[in-house]
Amino acid sequence: MKSFTNANPRDAQQAVTLLRQTRADGRKASPAGGGSDLLGMMKERLVTPDVVVSLKSIKGLDQVAAESGGVRIGGLITLDALQRHDRIRRQYAVLAQAAESVATPQIRNVGTLAGNVCQRPWCWYFRQGFPCFKNGGNTCFSAAGENQFHAIFGGGPSFIVHPSDTAVALVALDATFSVAGSNGERAVRASDFFALPLANPAVENVLGADDLLVSFHLPTPQSGIKSAYHKVLDREAWTHAVVSAAVVLEMDKDICRSARIVLGGVAPVPWRVPHAEALLVNQRITPELAARAGEAAIENARPLAKNAYKVPLTKNVVKRTILEVAAI
Amino acid sequence: MNKINPSQLADKNPALRAHNLRMRKISRRKFLERTGAGVAVAATVVNPVEAGSPASGGSHADLGAQASSTANPGSVPRTKIRLTINGRAQTVEVEDRWTLVELLRDHLNLPGTKIGCDRGECGACTVLLDGKPVYSCSNLAVWADGRTVETVEGLAANGKLHPLQQAFVDHDAPQCGFCTSGQLMAAVALVRANNRPNADEVRRAMTGNICRCSSYNHYVDAVLAAGSNGAASRRAVTVRTEPWAGAPFAPLTTVGHATPRIDAVQRVSGSATYTGDVRLPGMLYAKVLRSPHPHAQIKSIDVSKARALAGVKAILTHENAHVIWGAGAVAGGAQYNDDIKKITKQRRYAFNNPVRFVGEPVAAVAAVDRHIAEEALQLIVVEYEALPFVLDHEDALQATAPKIWPDGNISLNQRNEALPLSQRRGNVDAGLKSSFRVLEDRFTTAFVHNAQMEPRAAVAAWDGDKLTVYTPTGGIANCHTDIARDLELAPEKVRVVCEYMGGNFGNKNQNQDADLIAALLAREARAPVKLELSRKEDFIGMHGRWPTTQYYKVGVSQDGVLQAVQLRGYSGMGPYRKNSGAIGGIELYQCPNTETVVYPVYTNKTVSGNFRGPEFPQGYFGIQSMMDSVADALKMDPVEFVLKNMTRKSRDEVAYTNYTLEDCVRRGADAFEWTKRWRPPASDAGPIKRGIGTAFLAFRSGLGRSSAVIRLDAKGRYAVHVGVTDVGAGAKTTMGLIAAEALGVPLSRIDVVWGDTDRCPYSVGESGSRTTIMTGWAVIEAARDLKRQIAEKGLPAGAQVLVANASPNPSSDGKVRNTFAAHFVEVEVDTELGRARVMRYLAVHDCGRLINPLTAAGQIQGAAIMGIGMALHEDLVYDRRSGRPLTPGYYGARVCTHLDAPDIEVIFLETDDGLGPYGAKSIGESGKLPAVAAVANAIFNATGHRMKDLPITKDKLIMAGQRT
Repeated sequence: MKSFTNANPRDAQQAVTLLRQTRADGRKASPAGGGSDLLGMMKERLVTPDVVVSLKSIKGLDQVAAESGGVRIGGLITLDALQRHDRIRRQYAVLAQAAESVATPQIRNVGTLAGNVCQRPWCWYFRQGFPCFKNGGNTCFSAAGENQFHAIFGGGPSFIVHPSDTAVALVALDATFSVAGSNGERAVRASDFFALPLANPAVENVLGADDLLVSFHLPTPQSGIKSAYHKVLDREAWTHAVVSAAVVLEMDKDICRSARIVLGGVAPVPWRVPHAEALLVNQRITPELAARAGEAAIENARPLAKNAYKVPLTKNVVKRTILEVAAI
Repeated sequence: MNKINPSQLADKNPALRAHNLRMRKISRRKFLERTGAGVAVAATVVNPVEAGSPASGGSHADLGAQASSTANPGSVPRTKIRLTINGRAQTVEVEDRWTLVELLRDHLNLPGTKIGCDRGECGACTVLLDGKPVYSCSNLAVWADGRTVETVEGLAANGKLHPLQQAFVDHDAPQCGFCTSGQLMAAVALVRANNRPNADEVRRAMTGNICRCSSYNHYVDAVLAAGSNGAASRRAVTVRTEPWAGAPFAPLTTVGHATPRIDAVQRVSGSATYTGDVRLPGMLYAKVLRSPHPHAQIKSIDVSKARALAGVKAILTHENAHVIWGAGAVAGGAQYNDDIKKITKQRRYAFNNPVRFVGEPVAAVAAVDRHIAEEALQLIVVEYEALPFVLDHEDALQATAPKIWPDGNISLNQRNEALPLSQRRGNVDAGLKSSFRVLEDRFTTAFVHNAQMEPRAAVAAWDGDKLTVYTPTGGIANCHTDIARDLELAPEKVRVVCEYMGGNFGNKNQNQDADLIAALLAREARAPVKLELSRKEDFIGMHGRWPTTQYYKVGVSQDGVLQAVQLRGYSGMGPYRKNSGAIGGIELYQCPNTETVVYPVYTNKTVSGNFRGPEFPQGYFGIQSMMDSVADALKMDPVEFVLKNMTRKSRDEVAYTNYTLEDCVRRGADAFEWTKRWRPPASDAGPIKRGIGTAFLAFRSGLGRSSAVIRLDAKGRYAVHVGVTDVGAGAKTTMGLIAAEALGVPLSRIDVVWGDTDRCPYSVGESGSRTTIMTGWAVIEAARDLKRQIAEKGLPAGAQVLVANASPNPSSDGKVRNTFAAHFVEVEVDTELGRARVMRYLAVHDCGRLINPLTAAGQIQGAAIMGIGMALHEDLVYDRRSGRPLTPGYYGARVCTHLDAPDIEVIFLETDDGLGPYGAKSIGESGKLPAVAAVANAIFNATGHRMKDLPITKDKLIMAGQRT
C-alpha cells in the first residue's frame, strides 16, 4: 500500500471536515468504516488515499434507537450486531437477513451498515484495475466483454451491479438516509440515494466528495408486515448476490394490502419492480400470482451476451421470495 | 549494470559471512536436537515498550499531524498504539499502513497467524479482536489501538493445549496446517458463545475459513467433539474399513492404528515454521513486477528511479539475470535434465523476453522493507510492444493464430517434433463400423488453480559460495537438483530446507522461479532475501490444471459392450509446457479398439501443470460422462454398464497385481442402495430434482526407488532420515509408523528427520502418490539393515552410533500395480435457481493396508470435496480482448467453503497384493479423480441434462432448463 496517514475524528462532522480539508490541500482522503473493502482496494492501488479517515473512533453511531415514527440505526453498526438485533429481526426481518447474507462472519464483525451500502462494485474489470468508468476511464469493459454477472436492468454506459445486500433491503423498507456534509446533515430517501450510471458512471450514489452516510431511519412497520431477503450465491457462502430479492408485504390474513419488491445483483442500483408489486395489491397470494409477479418483474429486462440466465433466475427468485414471505 | 553470472561466487563480506555461519550453526543444532524442528528465527520487535506503560497519546492524527507529514513527503506516518495481545499489554509504534497481521508476523514475532490471500477471502489470518473473529489482513494495526487481540499463540495455557487444539489433534483436522490457526480462532469464538453447536452452526461460524486440503469434515468433527465437552459426538458421516473377499491383513503393532500426527501439536499451536515464517538477520524483502500483457516484446526497462529509491538493494530483469528455469517448462513437458537441456529449442528463463502471459515476471526488487520494494516496482518503467495473442487452445491451432513460438503452437516433444500424444490399439474404424450404436460428443474442462493455502515463497541466503533456500517444496531432493542446475552450482553448494509447507497438489516436486529470483537477488544484494508471492501472483504467475477440449466417438454393441473408443483432445498448456498435457481415462475401459490423439497446445494464458492426478479428473469427467450417455442411450443402468465394460487388465493386456475394482463398485452400489434408488433421468416432476451418479477409478500405485537412513545412538533413539516434507498428507508420521513397526520399537523412540537436503537422503518427493510406497519401502529396508547390524555388533554404547541405509528399487514383476475406487453421489438440483448441492457422497477405496487410518480418510474426503469444487465452481475466467485473467483468488475462483463441503462417507477395502510396504497402496491423489464425473453424472440423472462444460455453474444449469 502507498503510505498514508490514519486519522481518527471524534464525530461525523469532524470526519467531514477532515475529508474536505484534505481535499482542499490537494490530497486524497477515504473514509473507512469496517475498512475491509477499502484496504483491499488500496492494496490493489485502485484507491490511493493520503489520509484514511477511520470512523471507528466515532462513538454512538453504532446503535439501534427508537425514534418518532420508527427506529434510527447508526451507520457504524456492524453487520453482525445488526443481524443479531432483536427488534431488527422481529420488525425488519429483510434487513437482518440481508446483513446475515453478507460475506463471512469475520467481515460482518467489522463491516458496517453504512460501509456495506456504500460498497464499491465488485465488477471484475473494476477490481482487476481495468481503466473503466469506475477507475477513472471512459468505458465499461463488461458491455462487450465477460458480463455474466452484470446488469440486466438500468445498465449503460456502465453495466455494474450494485454489490450491497443491505441496500436492497433498505430500499424495500423505504428507509431514509441521513447524510452528513459540509452544511450539516440532510435526509435522503433510500430510493433517491442510489444513482444510475447515466449522469455520472464513476459513482453509485449521490454522496458528494466530502459527504458521509451516518444513519438510517426505518419507518414503523404497518401491522401485518412480513418480509424476507433471498440471495442467490455462486457458491454457498461469500459471494455477492448473483440475484437477490427483498420482498416486504403488508398482509391482512392471506390478502396482500401493499407490496415492495426490490432486486439486487441485476442493476447498477437496488432495482424496484413496481409492476410486480402492483399485481399483488389486494390479492390473495397464490403460487400462480407469485409466478405472474415474477414474470412482471422481468418485463423490461435487457440481458447482455452472457447473462441471459439472470432473467429466468430473477423471475424465479421473485416468485419464491413472495411465497416465502406469504408462507404459502 | 553488472551482468550476474550464475557461476560467479557470492559475496566475501566477512561480517555477513560470520552471521550466516552463525545462523547455520543455530539452525543445524536445532535440527539435530529437535529432529527437524527448527529454523532459527530472529525476532526483532519494533519499539518494544514495557508492558503496561501508557501509550504516549498516540498521534491520532489530527489535522495538524497530517500537515506535518505532508511537509516531509519522504516520511512514513507512524503512530504509537497500545494494545493487549494474548493477555499482555504492550505499546508499539507502527506505520499507519501496516495491517494487523503484518504487525503480528513481521514485528511482534507472532508468525502463527498466516497470510493466505491478504484480501479477506480465505481466513488464514483470523484472529480475535475484542473476542470476535476478524481478518487481520483486512484491519490496520492502528485500528487495534486500545483493543485486545488473541492469536493462536495464546490459546494453550500452562503448557496444556486448549480443548479445541487437542480436538484438532485427535481428529486430524489440519492437513497442511496453513489454515489451521484461522480455523481455530473462528472455532474458539464459536464455542465461547455456544458450547454445544451442531454441525450446521459450526459450518456457518467457520465458513469464512477456507481449507484447500478440504479437511472440512475433520474440522467440523473436531469442533463438535470439543464443543460438547469432550463427549465425542457421533455424526452420521462414517469412515469404516470393511472386510473383502481375500485374506485380511494380520494385525500389526503400530502400523494400521489411528495415530495423531507426530507434528500435530506444532500444526495447531502456530509453532510450525513455514517458509514465510523464516526470518534471518539483515533479511531483505522482494517483490516481482509482472507483465500486464498476454504477449509482448519488452523494448526497454528503465530501473534507474527504482534503484535510486532509498532502501532498494537489488533489481533483476531479463537484461541482467539470464538464468534458465529448467523446471518451468521444456519441450515435452518432462522433468528437466541435462540431456533435454541440450536438445530442446524452447527454453524458459526466470525472466523472459518476449513475455507470453499476463503475470509473467518482468523485474524483481529487493529492499529493506516490503513496502519499499512495492514502491520500487511502481518506479520501474517498462516499454512493451504488444504482440498478437491467443487464449483458446483450439483457436491456437487455426492457421491464422499468432505463433507463440517460432515452431508454432503445438508444443514440441522431447525430440523437438510437433506431434500429438497418441496411443492406438486394434482398429477403431472397424470397431465403429461394426457397432450397434455410435455416439459422439464434446466436453470441455476449465483451468483450475491448485490454490494451496500457502502462497509460494522463498527465502535465500548465501554463506560464501553456499546457497541455502527455504522454500515450500514437496521434493527437497529434486528442488535441490533443479536449483543447482539452473544456477550452475555444484550440488554440495546448495541446501534446500522445507520444514512445513502449506499444501502441494502438484508441481512442487521441483524448484520454482521464486527460488531462483530470491537466490539471485540475495547474491546481488549480499543479504538474505525473502520473496513471498501474493495470492493473485500465485494464481496467475504459477500454474493450474490444464483446460481441455475432448471429442469422443464411442461404438457399442446392442448388449452394451464397448467396440471402439476414440478421443481427439486438446490441452491448453499456456506458453510454456510444464507437464504432459495428456488426457487420461480411456484406459479405464476394456475395449479392443481404442485411439487417443491429444494435442498439447501453447496459449497466452497462465501456465498449466500438474494438479492432483494431473490428466485424470478432467479426462475422467469427459469419458465417464460420455459412457454415462452411452448407458442412457441403451437404457442401461449406469452401474451395470460399468461392470460390463470396466478394465480388468491394464489396457486389456497386462494383469494387475491384484484386481479389486469390481469389489469397490459392487460394495459401493450395495452400501449406497443403488439399485433401489436409481431412477431414469429427470424423474422428479417439480423444479427441485434429485438424482444419483457414479464414477470409478483405476490409478497408479507403483513401486520405485527411494532412500532412507536410520541412525541409532546409545540412548536408544532412532533417527529416521527421510527426504520428505509432509505436504499435508502425513508423510512424516507415516514414515515414523513404518519405522517403529519395522524396528519393533514404540513410535515414541523414533525421531523423524526431514525437510533438509543437508540432512536427508534422496527421496522421490511427494508427488504422484508415491511417498508411502517408495520411501516406506526404503525405511523398511534400512530398518532391516540396522537390525542386522545390531545382531552383529550389539547396541551402541557411549558415543557409538549405528547407521543403516537403504535405496531399494522393488518391482512388480511386469504386472501393473493399481489402486481402485468407486464413488457414488446424490445431488439435489434446484433447476429454477440453478443450485446444485451434493446431498450424499460415498467413496469406496482399495488403498491396500492403511498405514494410518486417521490421515487416510482425510485424503479421500478432501480430494472428493476438491472434486466437487472443480465440478461446480472453479474457473479462471479471462477477458478475451485484453487477455487478462479476471478471477484470480479464492473469491473469484469460488473455491469450496465449509458450507460447500458435504460429509464424505468412506469405505476402505484393505486388500493385499503382497507388494506394498506392509501392504500399502497409493492414496494422495486418487480421491479426486472420479469425483467430478460422479457429480456430473448425478446432475444428469437429476435433470436429464448432460452438462458438458466445466464448471457446471448456475448459468448453465438454468439455461439447460430453458431449452427444454
